[in-house]
Amino acid sequence: MNDTTVEPSVIVREFDAPRELVFEAWTQVEHLNNWMFPMQGCQCNFVSADIRDGGTSLHTITMPNGHQMWLFTKYEEVDFPEKLVFLQYMSNEAGDILPNPHMPDWPRDMLASLYFESLAENRTKLTFNWQPRNPTVAELAVFEASRADHHKGWGAGMDQLEAYLAAG
Amino acid sequence: MAGMARISTTSDVFSAIAEPKRRVILEKLLVEQMSVTDLVDALQWTQPMVSKHLKVLKEVKLVAETKVGRFHYYRAQPDELRPIQDWIHRFEKYWGGALENLDSYLTDIKSRGDARE
Repeated sequence: MNDTTVEPSVIVREFDAPRELVFEAWTQVEHLNNWMFPMQGCQCNFVSADIRDGGTSLHTITMPNGHQMWLFTKYEEVDFPEKLVFLQYMSNEAGDILPNPHMPDWPRDMLASLYFESLAENRTKLTFNWQPRNPTVAELAVFEASRADHHKGWGAGMDQLEAYLAAG
Repeated sequence: MAGMARISTTSDVFSAIAEPKRRVILEKLLVEQMSVTDLVDALQWTQPMVSKHLKVLKEVKLVAETKVGRFHYYRAQPDELRPIQDWIHRFEKYWGGALENLDSYLTDIKSRGDARE
């Protein structure tokens, strides 16, 4: 839609495991089912997985309260053992991508780019970049506004908002 | 930036906070309720500018209005802000949490492997 360069949101994390294993944890179902959920007490179940360049997967996450969500993933690059690029969407059980009625301007295509770097035989650094792809002007503005970044987005107000909501 | 498409101030909470000035107002109103005059004094913006942005925030129900005598006071509404907070933290919470689980899982595999040796 436009040529704006988007600064990704980034998480960097190191693991005490060899790079090949960390990569496989992201690309093999027998690993994925064991960890790919946002908190302890969730269940993850991949119902389909064709994890390669151009492939897709569909999995369900059941939250501790029983709420179930479906996630559809399109894999763009599966480059063992160093790089993984995918787009992930909220979907239904058929893998149809769901619109988000609460936030029409939240970027539709959020691209995850993961870089696996070997620091030692048993130490791997993972850099996880998250950014909207080809965002519209409105989507870009909303993404930028969502950052906990003092210059571009919601700065000190974020802490106040957290405190406020926690108290409420 | 004449001619540049303006981001519409629709009835959508996310579009409403995409405008930095409206976030500044919200941040103020999260701390205490204020009148337009209070906001004009605190921010040193013109009254029409404050009123224009307040109007949008009111439309999407991020801000509520209370009338006390002749004065109108505004305050932020927490319930309408909750989905924003959820989404702001989606990336950090969701993937941060998942990476935490991945770390435990990798440690489990390793200790099981060590136990076999």
